[in-house]
Amino acid sequence: MQMMDLEGPQSSQGLTARYDELLAPVTSKDNDTSFNRASATYSNLDDRFRAAKRSYERQYAQLYFSRLMLLKEVMLARVQQLWPGVPVCTILEVPESKEVAVIGTVYKNMKLKPSILDEYSKDRGLKAALGAANFCSGDDSLVLEDEGARMVLRDVAGPGPAGGSTTSGGGSEPLNVQEIVTGLVLAVRGVHEPGGDFIVNAVCFPGMAPNPHPLPAPVPHRAAAATAAVVAAGAPGDKYVALASGFCLGSSKADMLKTQLALDFLTGNLGSPVEQQLSAQIVRLVVAGGCIGQLEALAGGGGGGSGSSNPYNRQAQGVALQPVRDLDLLLAELSAGMSVDVMPGAEDPANVALPQQPMHRCLFPAAGMQGSFVRATNPHEFESDGVRLLGCSGQNVDDMAKYCGIRDRLDIMQRSVESRHIAPTAPDTLTCYPFHDKDPFILETTPHVYFVGNQPEFATRLLGGGSAAGAAAAAGPVVRLVTVPSFVRTGTIVLINLRTLACHPLRFDGTLGL
Amino acid sequence: VIRMYGVNAAGNSVCAFVHGFEPYFYIEASPSWDRDVRQAIGEQLNVRLRLFSKTKGGPAVIRIELCQKASIWNYQGPDAKRSFLKIVVSVPNLVAPARGLFEGGLHIKSVGEYIKCTTFESNVLYTLRFMVDTKVVGGNWIELPAGTYFLQRNQQLTHCQIEAHVHYTKFVSHPPEGEYSSVAPLRIMSIDIECCGRKGCFPEAKIDPVIQIASMVSVSGRTEGPVVKNVMTLGSCAPIVGAEVMSFDDEKDMLLRWRDLLIESDPDIIIGYNILNFDLPYLYERADALKIGAKFQVWGRVRGSHTRMRDSQFSSKAYGTHEYKDITIEGRVQFDLLTAIQRDHKLSSYSLNSVSAHFLGEQKEDVHHSAIADLQAGNEETRRRLAVYCLKDAYLPQRLLDKLMYTYNYIEMARVTGVPLSYLLTRGQSIKVFSQLLRKAQVKDFVIPNIKVTGPANGGDGVGYEGATVLEPKIGFYERPVATLDFASLYPSIMMAHNLCYTTLVPNDRLATVPVEDRAQSPCGDWFVRGTRQRGLLPEILEELLAARKRAKNDLKAETDPFKRAVLDGRQLALKVSANSVYGFTGATVGKMPCLAISASVTSYGREMIMKTRALVQEHYTRANGYETDCEVIYGDTDSVMVNFKVSDVTRAMELGREAAGFVSKAFPPPVKLEFEKVYFPYLLMNKKRYAGLLWTRPEKHDKMDSKGIETVRRDNCLLVRNVVTTCLERILIDKDIAAAKAYVKGVIADLLMNKIDLSLLVISKGLTKDGDEYDTKIAHVELAKKMRKRDAATAPAVGDRVPYVIIKAGAAKGAKAWEKAEDPIYALEHSLPIDCQHYLEHHLSQPLLRIFEPVMGNPKELLCGDHTRCIAVSTPSSASGGIMRFAKVTLSCLACKAPLPSGSKDSLCSHCKPQESEIYSRTLETVSELEGQYGALWTACQRCQGSLHMDVLCTSRDCPIFYRRKKVQKDLNEAMAQLERFGTDGDLDW
Repeated sequence: MQMMDLEGPQSSQGLTARYDELLAPVTSKDNDTSFNRASATYSNLDDRFRAAKRSYERQYAQLYFSRLMLLKEVMLARVQQLWPGVPVCTILEVPESKEVAVIGTVYKNMKLKPSILDEYSKDRGLKAALGAANFCSGDDSLVLEDEGARMVLRDVAGPGPAGGSTTSGGGSEPLNVQEIVTGLVLAVRGVHEPGGDFIVNAVCFPGMAPNPHPLPAPVPHRAAAATAAVVAAGAPGDKYVALASGFCLGSSKADMLKTQLALDFLTGNLGSPVEQQLSAQIVRLVVAGGCIGQLEALAGGGGGGSGSSNPYNRQAQGVALQPVRDLDLLLAELSAGMSVDVMPGAEDPANVALPQQPMHRCLFPAAGMQGSFVRATNPHEFESDGVRLLGCSGQNVDDMAKYCGIRDRLDIMQRSVESRHIAPTAPDTLTCYPFHDKDPFILETTPHVYFVGNQPEFATRLLGGGSAAGAAAAAGPVVRLVTVPSFVRTGTIVLINLRTLACHPLRFDGTLGL
Repeated sequence: VIRMYGVNAAGNSVCAFVHGFEPYFYIEASPSWDRDVRQAIGEQLNVRLRLFSKTKGGPAVIRIELCQKASIWNYQGPDAKRSFLKIVVSVPNLVAPARGLFEGGLHIKSVGEYIKCTTFESNVLYTLRFMVDTKVVGGNWIELPAGTYFLQRNQQLTHCQIEAHVHYTKFVSHPPEGEYSSVAPLRIMSIDIECCGRKGCFPEAKIDPVIQIASMVSVSGRTEGPVVKNVMTLGSCAPIVGAEVMSFDDEKDMLLRWRDLLIESDPDIIIGYNILNFDLPYLYERADALKIGAKFQVWGRVRGSHTRMRDSQFSSKAYGTHEYKDITIEGRVQFDLLTAIQRDHKLSSYSLNSVSAHFLGEQKEDVHHSAIADLQAGNEETRRRLAVYCLKDAYLPQRLLDKLMYTYNYIEMARVTGVPLSYLLTRGQSIKVFSQLLRKAQVKDFVIPNIKVTGPANGGDGVGYEGATVLEPKIGFYERPVATLDFASLYPSIMMAHNLCYTTLVPNDRLATVPVEDRAQSPCGDWFVRGTRQRGLLPEILEELLAARKRAKNDLKAETDPFKRAVLDGRQLALKVSANSVYGFTGATVGKMPCLAISASVTSYGREMIMKTRALVQEHYTRANGYETDCEVIYGDTDSVMVNFKVSDVTRAMELGREAAGFVSKAFPPPVKLEFEKVYFPYLLMNKKRYAGLLWTRPEKHDKMDSKGIETVRRDNCLLVRNVVTTCLERILIDKDIAAAKAYVKGVIADLLMNKIDLSLLVISKGLTKDGDEYDTKIAHVELAKKMRKRDAATAPAVGDRVPYVIIKAGAAKGAKAWEKAEDPIYALEHSLPIDCQHYLEHHLSQPLLRIFEPVMGNPKELLCGDHTRCIAVSTPSSASGGIMRFAKVTLSCLACKAPLPSGSKDSLCSHCKPQESEIYSRTLETVSELEGQYGALWTACQRCQGSLHMDVLCTSRDCPIFYRRKKVQKDLNEAMAQLERFGTDGDLDW
């Protein structure tokens, strides 16, 4: 695999410059040219994330259990391929002083990990001081658990410095505590020292699952030249999917000017025919969560809290819903002109446990009238023109970032894809529904595009495909990883070329240059 | 023969057979008794004691010596020594009958004497006698110099690795100092057993089998953890990583194998949690029930010696009276962590779960005994599950032992007080003082009389005397620094300063024998001779203890090695405790040597000193003497005085405090010393022994919040009260924001009345100490236990369990009794029984709140009524709550306005509310989301605690703060989900 340059920044700057002049009143000329919006096939694959009737009678053990069972076969084959000759056994069968491989679910002991039990302990100061950035510490340790037992893992070299080399892509690698999070299924190779811990020589992950089917068009070995403008990058008939997240309507940071610019661009009401042409090639907009900013006044209902705000007043809540109405209007306007998928995010009016169910239709009286408006789940998976796209609103990656030492969001996503699981920290630190007979977050196939919303900045990387040898491109699975930045912070949306999987950020700058 | 058990530095177990030490006691001799009389006494004793002597042949009395000693009781004048007879008998068992003869009256016919006299030192246990005479203390190093002993190489009598024989005059006992202060590498075995009870009953040894025994062996002072981890199971069991699993089909085989393990691993100390009252007696009785008692009950170190168990009673002023089974295991000390922790720490709960949560910071899953039977009846996996649990229960005591450094503290205590290690847990404080007194007395040629104990045996609490004084508190909220002046080790220093001792007490009828200038009268009227004339024994003991403590503290400061630090810290603590227990020894009416004249004098001096301190401080620190303002003593208790210097600056208050301490100290005889310790700022004084404040020892920043006598720890209170009180104090003291505290209280009361308080905060629990029928009156938790037994005998609380309950609105009757209102929290949850908020408000919250707010605000009652109490919500009663609800029919109603919907309607809202659908939906959703988050957090917390991801959580620990919460969130979430679904799901929609 190889890492590609970000095509983004340069081209987007070029665009921004041009928008500035285009903001001036349109004179006339080519304005009559009409563009027909391109269309593409669409099939929604959210079914595995939907739960019509949810019942919270079960515990989480069965979710972990199904995860282990489903990934165990994959791991077995993987171990035999990577470590030929090393016997695989369960934890209970591990002999002393003989090298074996063991497959199991990993659990990371972290002393800084917040627990609901902390609410009952006396020193509350500690928790406050920690904040919520990252809960890693030097003495975190790993245990591996299979269906029978658990054992403590120790690095062969002893506790080394965290960080170090990032993943080398699905092969076996040394144990690095801070690159692993709770809930991953993996295999370890090592020796059980008499009466003590398991000394790990190497670990391996399931590796990327195959794509559901090859891409209709072959993936180019090299992406388009970075200097070229977005339009120039693609061929005239190319179709795009636009990804956006984090409009945060109603929050203090929301910038309506920026938002309106983006909206006008997407609906083809902004810019010269060149831009309008580009806009017309966008077949679909996916809003990956973060539609609404925090709605604090609504939180009257929850249990336990005894805040100082007046809990007996219902009037305030009418006002709080204003952003939801704004969102409805905005989405109605968009979906009048194009297909829109809306996923719920962490702060949106949907349940919090993953998979989040679509936001309710009663919240969208206007947009709901449009046939092109899709209320999607989070995670959301669909296929368009033969390209499989899978996306999350960001909670999964944000949560992993809190519990591991990997800083780069793309690296986290890569680890996730190579572990065939998009939300390993659920349910441990990420709330999710207690499934009992399946684990919908397992990647049985690798999508062609995996995007995550509400991230701090835009970044992208192509995994697999044009591998180092550059030989048979069809050999391995391919995935385009994209971090979709929060719009409110960056003013950026992302276009994905459905033919080439090339990825282009578009930045809308609403500042008036004062 | 005395057997001394121990280990050598290499870790080998050693048994030394010490020969030649003879038991003896004293009686006072009349000057007229010549050699012939003594001879006659001996003969007469021999005749009378023959009945008791088990060993035929050989005289009971070996010899009678004449010696010069003095009685410790009362001041005897300058030449105190008189003739005493030291009567040496052949075996220790003869001491008691011989004492009985003398105390009951003995006719010596041959010389025509009738002797009825007090005996001296006849109540000293043989072991202690030996230790005192050879200067051996508990846990010290004994050297057998080369050539003085003989090694038994074959046909050993014990299971020890080395066996030696030595005469008692030949070995060397090293005082625990310098290189001999280290602690020997003792072998410690921690055990836990699981029994399979029948449904609804606590396991009984006669009927219910032992199904698992977990044992861990470790060596003290080594850090690498247990050397043996073993679990024996009845029935097959899947293997466990890091532990040896032994499975048996026959319970007898398992027990016998465990006996072998015990003997093979040969531990010096057996530890566990509640082993003295449960595990060990259970094993013992179980073997009897299986008729393998004789083979099984050989746990001691002497080969073939049968371990015996008897019922015993332990009674101590400090620890209360309780019955227990006394199992004597020859050569092994039993150390029950439960007993030790109960003695040393005040906790709200002593279950292993909450104790380990408190000290080790980790929760432990708790498997209810009714679940154990199911796990045992399952397959090898479920039994493995149980075995893991059992192993953990054996490991936790081990970790507690290390964490609390009990090995070091108790060995140091044994060394300081000179008693064997085993005495420390099974006996009270007095034996320790007694041992020290004996040692001191022996050096000074004093003998200690065997005083007839007068106490509860004669009814009542014996003779009372006035205790410590408490200065009337000036209740209020002090927003200025209040300095606290403490007398350092008040009682010991009074005893030293005023030379209070048995040997210095002058009885009123003998006052004339001592010149007035040589004696002093205590404030309660007893006379003691001054130290210049004769120094008392107790003051000397105390001086040595305190000097030793000072040394240990200095060494501690210099020491860097953590193990040596642990030893030294243990020692200074032991020294402090022993110094303080000397006073208690003189006042213990059921003790060995009660002397109320001493203890009453001590407290009377204490009272006088507090009063005098107050007077001195208030006279001196006045504006007239050039200080900022007139100071005021606002409170004083036992050994401390609180002074409000009325300065606003902490630094200045500390200066004045230090100055005042020095100034007042001068007014008292040394070593009495008033010390300035801390400043409280701000300080909330609520009543006698009830106060709270921020504690400052440095002027820069406060150390912590300190509170006394406030509802923050007691278990009878529900968690809500503790939380509210703590938060209020934090708001008032730390944030200094009384308005915020008031608002908080109002918020909580509103939440309470609106039924928004987490149920687990409202759970009260009380111990069920005996069977329901044995209680005379109807008590809430007892009645509830009966009710629960009717519902399901399997899970109902048994005697010894704690019964948790909540107060509900019971039935139709308005004036229902409190005992009718108690209900099992789980039952109340499942059946949506309404909580009686008013009860909680009136009986639980109001008193503590009024106390806290009384000094702070004018009319604290306003907290309990007003706007925030107007809005009351009651959960919808279900048909289970009885009454009229049983006849009610459930119809759907509008989710917003509760108007009933037309029957058959599938809608969620009525036509009026329909336009607000999105708002109402959002509100419901908000609830769901919040609950979902809690659900995830709670159940994963339990998963982490049980240490397994792939297995369901079984724990039913009612001590765990989240036990009820996770149950409640499950129920609430399902309800909220159902409500949400009434808005329609997306399943039936296409797009």
